[in-house]
Amino acid sequence: MNKMEPVLRVRDVWKSYGDLEVLKGISFDVMESEVKVVFGPSGSGKSTLLRCINYLDPPDRGDVFLRGVRLGEKDTDINEMRARIGMVFQHFNLFAHLRAIDNVAIGPEKVLGLSKEDARQRAMAALEHVKMADWADHYPAQLSGGQQQRVGIARALAMEPDVILFDEPTSALDPELIGEVLQVMLDLAKEGTTMVVVTHEMGFARAVANEMIFIDGGVVVERGTPEHFFRGADSERVRQFLHKLEELYGKEREELRDVDGE
Amino acid sequence: MQEAPDLMTIVMLIIVNGVPATLQLTFFGLAAGFAIGLVLALMRVYGTKEMQWFATGYENTLRGIPLLVFIYIFVFGVPWVFWFVDAVSRPLFGVFFALGIRSGAYQSQIIRGAILSVGEGQVMAARALGMTAFQTQLYIVLPQAFKIALPSFANEYAVVIKDTSFAYSVGIFEILKVSRSVTAAWPALWVPSMLIVTVTYFVFTYPVTRYFGKKRKIHVSARGG
Amino acid sequence: MSVWSQGSPVVALGLEKLGDWADELLAGLAMTLYLYFVALTIGFLLGVGLALGRQYGGPVLSRIVTGYIEVVRGTPLLAQIFLIYVFPYSLNAWLTPDGPPFFMDIRWAIEIGGIRVLSHPILSSILALGLNSAAYQAEYIRGAIASIGEGQMLAARALGLSQMEGIRHVILPQAFRRMIPSWSNEASYLPKYTVVATFITVEDFFGMAKRAIAATFLSLETWLIVAAVYLVLITVISRVLERVYQKTKIPGL
Repeated sequence: MNKMEPVLRVRDVWKSYGDLEVLKGISFDVMESEVKVVFGPSGSGKSTLLRCINYLDPPDRGDVFLRGVRLGEKDTDINEMRARIGMVFQHFNLFAHLRAIDNVAIGPEKVLGLSKEDARQRAMAALEHVKMADWADHYPAQLSGGQQQRVGIARALAMEPDVILFDEPTSALDPELIGEVLQVMLDLAKEGTTMVVVTHEMGFARAVANEMIFIDGGVVVERGTPEHFFRGADSERVRQFLHKLEELYGKEREELRDVDGE
Repeated sequence: MQEAPDLMTIVMLIIVNGVPATLQLTFFGLAAGFAIGLVLALMRVYGTKEMQWFATGYENTLRGIPLLVFIYIFVFGVPWVFWFVDAVSRPLFGVFFALGIRSGAYQSQIIRGAILSVGEGQVMAARALGMTAFQTQLYIVLPQAFKIALPSFANEYAVVIKDTSFAYSVGIFEILKVSRSVTAAWPALWVPSMLIVTVTYFVFTYPVTRYFGKKRKIHVSARGG
Repeated sequence: MSVWSQGSPVVALGLEKLGDWADELLAGLAMTLYLYFVALTIGFLLGVGLALGRQYGGPVLSRIVTGYIEVVRGTPLLAQIFLIYVFPYSLNAWLTPDGPPFFMDIRWAIEIGGIRVLSHPILSSILALGLNSAAYQAEYIRGAIASIGEGQMLAARALGLSQMEGIRHVILPQAFRRMIPSWSNEASYLPKYTVVATFITVEDFFGMAKRAIAATFLSLETWLIVAAVYLVLITVISRVLERVYQKTKIPGL
């Protein structure tokens, strides 16, 4: 496999709902072990973008390639492709009727075709990875939001995907629960997991993002390294947005300063 | 033997001779059921322990026995309870009574559910304004509750009008009985006249449940938002 | 002292004549239970199919299913059972007015050990009750499916499960649990409506009671006993289902 070939290649993706144009030609590549942070005002199409990438919402125009294979082609099995693209949801979306361990094991068992024992072993390993092994036998409704999201991450990990998409993974959490989830994500990033993360957690972006992409009105307004953005973005819109985020969240969160200083 | 009636004649027979009794039974059954249901619901929500016990027992008993058994009890078991009407009209009263007391059990549940869904906050706000318990019910709780309960009432209406068809078995000339009297004379007309019966009921049930069912969807989505 | 002997309350009330009918009444009760369970099962299987068809079937199928459900729910069971019952008669009268039955001979019956388990009236009752119940059960099942958040299916699809797999492994297991409280309405409605079988000559509990009254003239007494038996039956059914619901509830929800 060519080391220089992108894991994920998004080419000129367009999407509209009726008259509402949500994405107007978005393109970017994600290389092996790269962390992309996508951010922008609400309604800018970030979540739609993620759903277009794994074809939960097929794009109207444009292409998505996973390791060179185009999604949405007649002879590519979309379910097989999705199995290789992990997704972590804003509202966790854990299967309510399954214990944590079974939530993580169902994908390997039913989609990858692993035996029940192998699937459970893999699920247990994934739960250990997110430090949720002790809660394996709990049902989602018995877990806190932060714990649920960690199980959600484990569910994606257990598929051993090529890339994981994170759709605002911490924005539905109470502030005191955000830290545990961000810590897991930081660990994953440092281990070399390929990730596309939609988030407003600028501390996280600053710590691990290889590139940040600012989206507004369905187009990429500006992109660059975290240093580029935090030293002062080119566009006035981006600067205003970052300023607002700072006001809302404080310059740097306590837990992230700790992480950052590592 | 007379010539077999054509379909239009059967339709007319059903509308002229059958529909009035069906609608009468439905209306009076629902009205009696509403009166009973309202009292029972208030007893269950605000009543003493004994009242709650009584209302619950009433609901469970009436919901646990087929309507047809009630009809037979009132028409053949204790027809004398309707001593105040002539013997010919007693079956009609028996069915009306059976429909009413049975519907009361269901309407009680509908109203109770609606009252509970109005919420404590509304009651507290009304009481804080200085309203009495009675005023609170009359002006605040019940108006909201009935609005919430409209789809369920529409559904109960459909249940009652469909169940008036059981009256045919005690010789009351409602929709089904009229068509059975046609088929008794001309068995070949069985299927068409039963289809006409089915369509007639559908015309009376579907628009109502559909109209209020739509409202319910709006209601649900409004609550979800 | 037997309940039927002199001086017992049963005899004092004049109920001993009903004792001669005990076997018939029990046979009738067995028929009622038989109709109930078979119709409930048919209604459930068909109801799941209808619910899935309405929810996931695409515009054409879901419209057809919706039409079926609305028509069945909008018309009396009594009219439906008459239609199903007389259909072969009518067809025969139409096709071969004077000759032997063309479509089917409706006097057939299947007996096992001397007990009639299937005949034209019994089959018509089962069909009418089952097809009718399916429409109601479908709505309860669909309501449960619709109450499951969109995120569940989204997450299933994101993992690579197909829509059918998502329905099977994620949606239905949750829907079946959620529907029990509302579905028990139907499960305790149906036994009461099995009485319609009486009108097409099936000797169910109600029909047997009618025959017993014709012979004994104990109208009120018999109907009160009948009422009590139905009440016990339906109370037991709803208690059992309440138990099942408590047992299968998802912890934490």
